[in-house]
Amino acid sequence: MKKSLWSFGTREVVFAAIGAALYGVLSYATNMLQIPGAGNVAIRPAVAIPMFFGVAFGPIVGFISGILGNIIGDLLSGYGFWPWWDLANGLMGFFPGLIYLGIKNFKDTSDILKAEGMVIVGVLVGIGVAAISELWVSGVDFATTVSMNFIPSVTTNLVNGLILVPILMVAYSAIQARSGR
Amino acid sequence: MIANFGYRPHQSILEKIDPRARWIFAFCMLFSIVLFWDLRILSVFFVITLIQFFVSKVTWQETKRAWIFILVLSSIMIFINTIITGVETVGGTIRGGTPLFSLKIPLFETFYVLTVERLWFALTQYLRIISIASLFIILPFTMDPRLYGVTFKGLGFPDKLAYTMDLAFRFIPTIARDFNVTLDAQRARGFEIDKGKMNIFQRIRRMAPLMVPVTMNSILAGEDIANAMDLRCFGLKKRSWIENLHFKTGDFVLIGFSILILVVSLYLRFGLNLGDFWMPGMS
Amino acid sequence: MQTPHSPLPLVVENLTFRYERRELPAIKNISFSIQPGQIILLAGSSGCGKTTLMRCINGLAPTIYKGEMSGKISVFGHDVTQLSLLQLSQHVGTLLQDPERQIVASHVLNEVAFGLENLGVPRLRILQRVDKTLEYLGIDHLKYKETFKLSGGEKQKVALAGVLVMEPKLLLLDEPLASLDPASAAEALKLFKRLAEDGISILLVEHRVEDVLAIEPDLIMFMEDGEITYQGDVKGFLEIADFSKVKLPAEIVAQRAKSIQFPQRTRSFEPDTSSELLRFENVSFQYRQDLPLTLKNINFSIHKGEITAILGHNGAGKTTLVKHALGLLKPTSGTVYLDGKDTRKMTIAEAAHTIGYVFQSPTQMLFAPTVEQELTFGPQNLGFSKEEIQKNVDWAIQTVHLEGEKQTPPLALSFGQQKRVSIASVLSMKSRILMMDEPTAGQDYWNYHSFMSSILDMPGYDAILFITHDLDLAIAYANRVILMANGQIIRDGAPEEVLKDISTLEKAHVLPTSLLSLNLKLLPKTKKFLRAELLANFI
Repeated sequence: MKKSLWSFGTREVVFAAIGAALYGVLSYATNMLQIPGAGNVAIRPAVAIPMFFGVAFGPIVGFISGILGNIIGDLLSGYGFWPWWDLANGLMGFFPGLIYLGIKNFKDTSDILKAEGMVIVGVLVGIGVAAISELWVSGVDFATTVSMNFIPSVTTNLVNGLILVPILMVAYSAIQARSGR
Repeated sequence: MIANFGYRPHQSILEKIDPRARWIFAFCMLFSIVLFWDLRILSVFFVITLIQFFVSKVTWQETKRAWIFILVLSSIMIFINTIITGVETVGGTIRGGTPLFSLKIPLFETFYVLTVERLWFALTQYLRIISIASLFIILPFTMDPRLYGVTFKGLGFPDKLAYTMDLAFRFIPTIARDFNVTLDAQRARGFEIDKGKMNIFQRIRRMAPLMVPVTMNSILAGEDIANAMDLRCFGLKKRSWIENLHFKTGDFVLIGFSILILVVSLYLRFGLNLGDFWMPGMS
Repeated sequence: MQTPHSPLPLVVENLTFRYERRELPAIKNISFSIQPGQIILLAGSSGCGKTTLMRCINGLAPTIYKGEMSGKISVFGHDVTQLSLLQLSQHVGTLLQDPERQIVASHVLNEVAFGLENLGVPRLRILQRVDKTLEYLGIDHLKYKETFKLSGGEKQKVALAGVLVMEPKLLLLDEPLASLDPASAAEALKLFKRLAEDGISILLVEHRVEDVLAIEPDLIMFMEDGEITYQGDVKGFLEIADFSKVKLPAEIVAQRAKSIQFPQRTRSFEPDTSSELLRFENVSFQYRQDLPLTLKNINFSIHKGEITAILGHNGAGKTTLVKHALGLLKPTSGTVYLDGKDTRKMTIAEAAHTIGYVFQSPTQMLFAPTVEQELTFGPQNLGFSKEEIQKNVDWAIQTVHLEGEKQTPPLALSFGQQKRVSIASVLSMKSRILMMDEPTAGQDYWNYHSFMSSILDMPGYDAILFITHDLDLAIAYANRVILMANGQIIRDGAPEEVLKDISTLEKAHVLPTSLLSLNLKLLPKTKKFLRAELLANFI
């Protein structure tokens, strides 16, 4: 079933598009539900979507779900276009995708832990890249970007991802048997 | 909830320009702006981006939300950077300087000094951020979402990747509708998003009844969609696109202008070593 | 091969297919052929192998669905295993069951052009062929519309256009009527007939046999457990077909059911007008001020012991009405009372104590890792005590007969079981009214009836309210019908009263069925409407 880490056929095109649309719409929708933000970084539970799509369908699908989903979310909210934050979201889906071939059973604890580990890597690298870009673009200093961008973003994305990715994985294990492709 | 794009025709010249040319312009400008900290050079970019903003005929009403979001966010960052932490800004360009006022910090036996230079630097930061924001903020309101796929195809992206964008746009209204149905279904089972006092972990777990059905439903639909696409020969050979884009003279002019800006900027910065922090009174 | 010059559109010989991950073959020894311009109806209940057979013909199996295939399929004289998907697509077109899951583009023009774009046909040629196809199907006015905003019937025509534009000479239709209301279904069938007259051969998979008979299929095949158990003309099929598995015309069922003992219902429903559960009083509603009224001056009450069908065409306002009953929407003017209380003054959670809603598609609400936890969700939200929750959940699981699946993830269950979980999730809240949206949608004919009968036999609720566009469902199960059209109630009363008048039905855009006419004919003897099998005693 799982062919290779980097294949990009019809199935991957479809799931990348679905992941992106889900991420975009859900982050817009949960934004509307007024979940109180911590500091300036809104809590976006939907960030678990690109992470999970990475784990379930591979790094390319995860990456596109994240980057395109974030673009869509910003388009829907009318926030414009912020390339370095889009890239950060792509990376948060990409790294969990690297474990794709290592996941045999989506409800097995050790497989879930593997995915969680990659979620942590993805968040650190992704947000790190965005924070460094912020250093360069806004001209703030290192202390500002660490305290204003890096720490709050890493915290909220990690909490969201670590809680919701396992829930999605367990749910997915139940429908896996029903999809025959 | 209705997930709608902000796009509507504005009858502006901007919409007559090929979207590919507009993306090239936006990115050339972005890369040029971030090279400089010189208020005089940044003012030129600021004027160009403002002109683009007004030419687009996008209204304040449409972009209000985004502007407030960006201004609040950047103000907090700049405030903290200027007042509290910003000692090492851009490689220490503005270390030292003219004190505006100073405050003795008890316990540490040091002085907190706010300098005139820091305030000028904050102004420069605003100018950069607002220029970049007005560059990108208008895009969703002035670019037809139907053209995203073919635009990126035209910018050299592979067929499958470009089509992924079109497909994602196709799913947006469906997923928004499914989300509403699921929200109604769970509310009818007594579910409330904000139920009394909950800690952050419980709050996030409470998203599961909404996120799981919508996600799993979409994944199940995905298989049928993939079949439908395979049956209609998706990805088997190089595809043609019925949406097509033609560069016109005006588009070439804009692309030329964009490249010129980038080249001149690079030359100023790296050839002549110009563009470091500047404020009135500095040579 | 009969005539070497024009080989048959489709010849299937001794076809057997087994999926890689299964032990037993999904289909066994299938043999049949189609002549040019023929319509073959393939009937059978879900899981009988229809879908697998289609996948073998259109090439998805074994190219994408891996497995072991034996026997031979030839399409216009070519062995399908020798053809690529690219070549095969020039001969065979497939319309999948749910047009919503077939449409890949945001706009009609792009959707219809999709296949030709993939073939790399030059842009102008594509545009010409798209125009020709849209015109042929009579939907040129939809060309620049967004696919999302189309009605179900329009979506299907657009999906069909996307297939026909590639000019296949053999068309596979997978339950094309399943997602359509009766009026659109009738229209779709006429269209299929026209395609056949224009020389396209059609393999039509459908369990609504009665509806398909209207276009006189040339041949009927019946499939069970992966094998074809009947292959022949319509007349012969009606004599032997299992009327509990496929939907046959009511007269035939009534004739043939004579010898069969039909079990009595265990629970009886007697309307008790003194006990009012829900009341709509002068309710009008509009979504926005600049939009027309969706509900116009609605008045009715629901009492204990009533099984009420709210019947109407798509867009009549049924769903908006249901949302008012649940408190999800509040009236623009007028009042909705639940158990005597104004819904404006109660939360949706409070409303759930009185009324529970089963949504059309169970996957839109199932999320928990086990059935038990799924059922706990509602009562927990309503603030029931721990013991009470456990008691209710255990009772609800028993009521829907899912004791064995307590720890199974609901998402892993079959559609029918999921449907029962969604009923149980409402029962566990002990709501007094059970409200359902198109309760039988997506179920095959056998499950349609077994599901409805089992609900009506369940204890634990006082009244049932369901919305549907299926006239036969109302006839067979309701003791009261509210007929809606254009946001208004145009008739309300016993089914025999409301449905006897054809002109009223026309006003509500409801098409009469064979079950209705037979019931009307026998009404002097029966005194009330019955399902076809029960009419047998009166003929």
